[in-house]
Amino acid sequence: MSRIPRSMEATSVGEAAAVARGRRSLPNGLWGIALFIATEATMFGAIIATYFYLRFKHAGWPLDGIAPPKPALPLAITAALAATTLPMLLASRAVRAARRGAAVGWILFAMAVQCGYLAVQIVLFSDDLSRFTPDQNAYGSIYYALLGASHFHVLVGIVLSGWVAARLLAGVTNYRVVAVRVISWYWYFVAAVTVAVTLTQLSSSL
Amino acid sequence: MATVASPEAARRVYRLERVWRERPGLLGWLTTCDHKRIGILYLFTSLAFFAAGGVEALLVRTQLITPNNTLLGPEKYDQMFTMHGVTMVFLFVIPISIGAFGNYLVPLMIGSRDMAFPRMNALSYWLFLSSGIFIYTGMFLGHGANAGWFDYVPLASKQFSPGPNIDFYALGLIFNGVSSTAAAINFVVTIFKMRAPGMSLNRMPLFCFAFLAVSFALIFALPPLNVACGFLELDRRLGFHIFDVTHGGDALLWQHLFWIFGHPEVYIIILPAFGIATSIIPTFTQRRMVAFPLVALAEILVAFIGFGVWVHHMFATGLPSVTLIYFAAASLIIVIPSGIQLFAWITTINTGRPRFATPLLFIVGFIVFFLLGGLSGVMLAAIPFDQQITDTYFIVAHFHFVIFGAAVFPILGGLYYWFPKVTGRMYHERAGHVSFWLTFIGTGLTFFPMHILGLIGMPRRQYTYPGGMGWTGYNQVETIGSYILAAGLLLIVANLVVSYLRGAPAPANPWRGATLEWATSSPPPDYNYPVIPRVTSAYPMWDELDREEDSRNLTRGEMVLDEGHETPASTVLDADWDEILEMPSHSPWPITLALVASGVFLFLLLGHWAVAAISTGLVFVVLAAWHRQEPQEA
Repeated sequence: MSRIPRSMEATSVGEAAAVARGRRSLPNGLWGIALFIATEATMFGAIIATYFYLRFKHAGWPLDGIAPPKPALPLAITAALAATTLPMLLASRAVRAARRGAAVGWILFAMAVQCGYLAVQIVLFSDDLSRFTPDQNAYGSIYYALLGASHFHVLVGIVLSGWVAARLLAGVTNYRVVAVRVISWYWYFVAAVTVAVTLTQLSSSL
Repeated sequence: MATVASPEAARRVYRLERVWRERPGLLGWLTTCDHKRIGILYLFTSLAFFAAGGVEALLVRTQLITPNNTLLGPEKYDQMFTMHGVTMVFLFVIPISIGAFGNYLVPLMIGSRDMAFPRMNALSYWLFLSSGIFIYTGMFLGHGANAGWFDYVPLASKQFSPGPNIDFYALGLIFNGVSSTAAAINFVVTIFKMRAPGMSLNRMPLFCFAFLAVSFALIFALPPLNVACGFLELDRRLGFHIFDVTHGGDALLWQHLFWIFGHPEVYIIILPAFGIATSIIPTFTQRRMVAFPLVALAEILVAFIGFGVWVHHMFATGLPSVTLIYFAAASLIIVIPSGIQLFAWITTINTGRPRFATPLLFIVGFIVFFLLGGLSGVMLAAIPFDQQITDTYFIVAHFHFVIFGAAVFPILGGLYYWFPKVTGRMYHERAGHVSFWLTFIGTGLTFFPMHILGLIGMPRRQYTYPGGMGWTGYNQVETIGSYILAAGLLLIVANLVVSYLRGAPAPANPWRGATLEWATSSPPPDYNYPVIPRVTSAYPMWDELDREEDSRNLTRGEMVLDEGHETPASTVLDADWDEILEMPSHSPWPITLALVASGVFLFLLLGHWAVAAISTGLVFVVLAAWHRQEPQEA
């Protein structure tokens, strides 16, 4: 019994890394985020299913002669956002290997790209709004509902990343190591959802 | 409880008591993270909503006692039956089974000292309470939900329901859904990760399998409902057209999204009842469950297949025959896992030595009603029959036998069964028997004639009916039955209240129950167990040598964990001890977060979008404050 680690007492970089190495199954926090992702993915599944349900109700899509979205820029920035999974992966590796500085650096690097993605998306969103509105017809409604849900998730991710980076700067505990891994998993999910959402959004022009 | 034989053992128990002691007074209840206290909060809150939903049902039945009755009138009647459905499903059955029974019992049954996420557990409760108050605020203001619990568009759209009634419904259900999602995630992680050493998945009580299945079902079923309610609000408040046929939307889409949630929901309601039945039957027959692995698989299979049958609620909507036939076939397949469980229960009772105490009586009532409701369910899976009978009282009869007779009877039996554990007092057995017969007869009288009424054509959801249709006599029997049922339920409450005050003291294991909640004293101490039990079978209380080992461990100081607010975490399949977790003991943040979330939904309801957005920002501020205190600092 003495060999069983008391994970929560790990309040330094080295101890937290040792706990992470000694564990045989995923910590509770990762199970929590995995199930959260499952429910969120189902939510996006329902929204995307609604998009195609409405799309296949109609011979012409987008409705009322609205021009389909231009694909080049959304595809490019979505690829950039998807690529931020790599620095997030490296951050959670680094924090488990007791390299706090590297972890914070990777998180901040990913955040910069994610903020750029969100900024471009907001510009595109308001451009779209000047062409057609959600109260115009069902295409507009589901288009903005889909993108709004996706962008909100990116915003939440950025807030979480900023918070965990600040916490790491104040010191490393087992709790924060798990938090970095949880937030990385959240970002893997957001990246996957963004790809799915962008492909759905562009399905009328591809 | 393990006998405290030696001074060392007494010292350890004293230390545990000091470490785990709950804060006294009201503040203690508001900031508690203890699963037992949260379970009790859930119990009383959901019973209060049960009373409200019961009064609504009695008003509906009283309105229908004679033809052309004017007691309620159409507007009030619509609110009554809608709020009855919403209350019973979202504010009573799910919270009492998952929130009250699950919270109190799952950690005890798996030998843990708390849930995996104690603060999130408190948050689930406070969100549930807030959402219930939110939904009922509409009713008290005269604007209760009034388009039926499934809230079909276009009736529920702005054009035909301009008042705020539907907004209370849609926002309230999203609010409630957040609470249930958090609870479901908590249960899955608790059941996977917090089991006592040795309790591999195949040694886990069937009760916990049922709760595992329910939790997974909630995780995947709630998002479509939340999306549907979100779309409905966008349509109603911001002029979106997702359900609006005139602008390219589709009204049937609501029905799809609602029933993709709504059918799994039926199994979410009834699976905890299966779990309770599989706890009570072995205890009162003193016999292991027949076909344990098959029953465990059947519980999970019911939850899984439940996701593939939603269109059987839509047989009369004009969908293509090919679609209907697939869903009819899928619906019939549910008979197989249901039948496995039914035969396992009956065989266990039949081959054991049954002692028909009150809890087992309620389970027998449950089996009878589940059979009745199940058989009419098989009838309804036949497409032509369903198309003929849809929207009549036959449907009302069917689903009340399933979700009242079958889902609530085990809850009532469970109240009796675990009453000694929770209160440390025995209930009154003879009054328990009387209360069973009253509720059993009341249920039969209330709901059985509805089959006949449906077959002779009485439509549901009409506030009155003309005389001379041959419906009056049946309606009168039903109304009388509903009052007998109410009397039975009140007798249960009276029995438990009087027994709480004056009942005989209960020993740790009055029924010779097999699962771990009976290992500790009645009521359990704040730390649940002085020693984390080691488990070698699915019936740990019948392994007497193991329990004697627990007492020796207390003296030796092994598996006691008295150095802090600690509980073990284990590996998912084999439950090997993996780490020791320091658990948070109390926190002011869950209730604060629930208050801020109430603000978000209130301002959404009022249409103050900017304030709602600021409140959403506040949610993150509260979350940051919540996580500033890490468990090891508590």
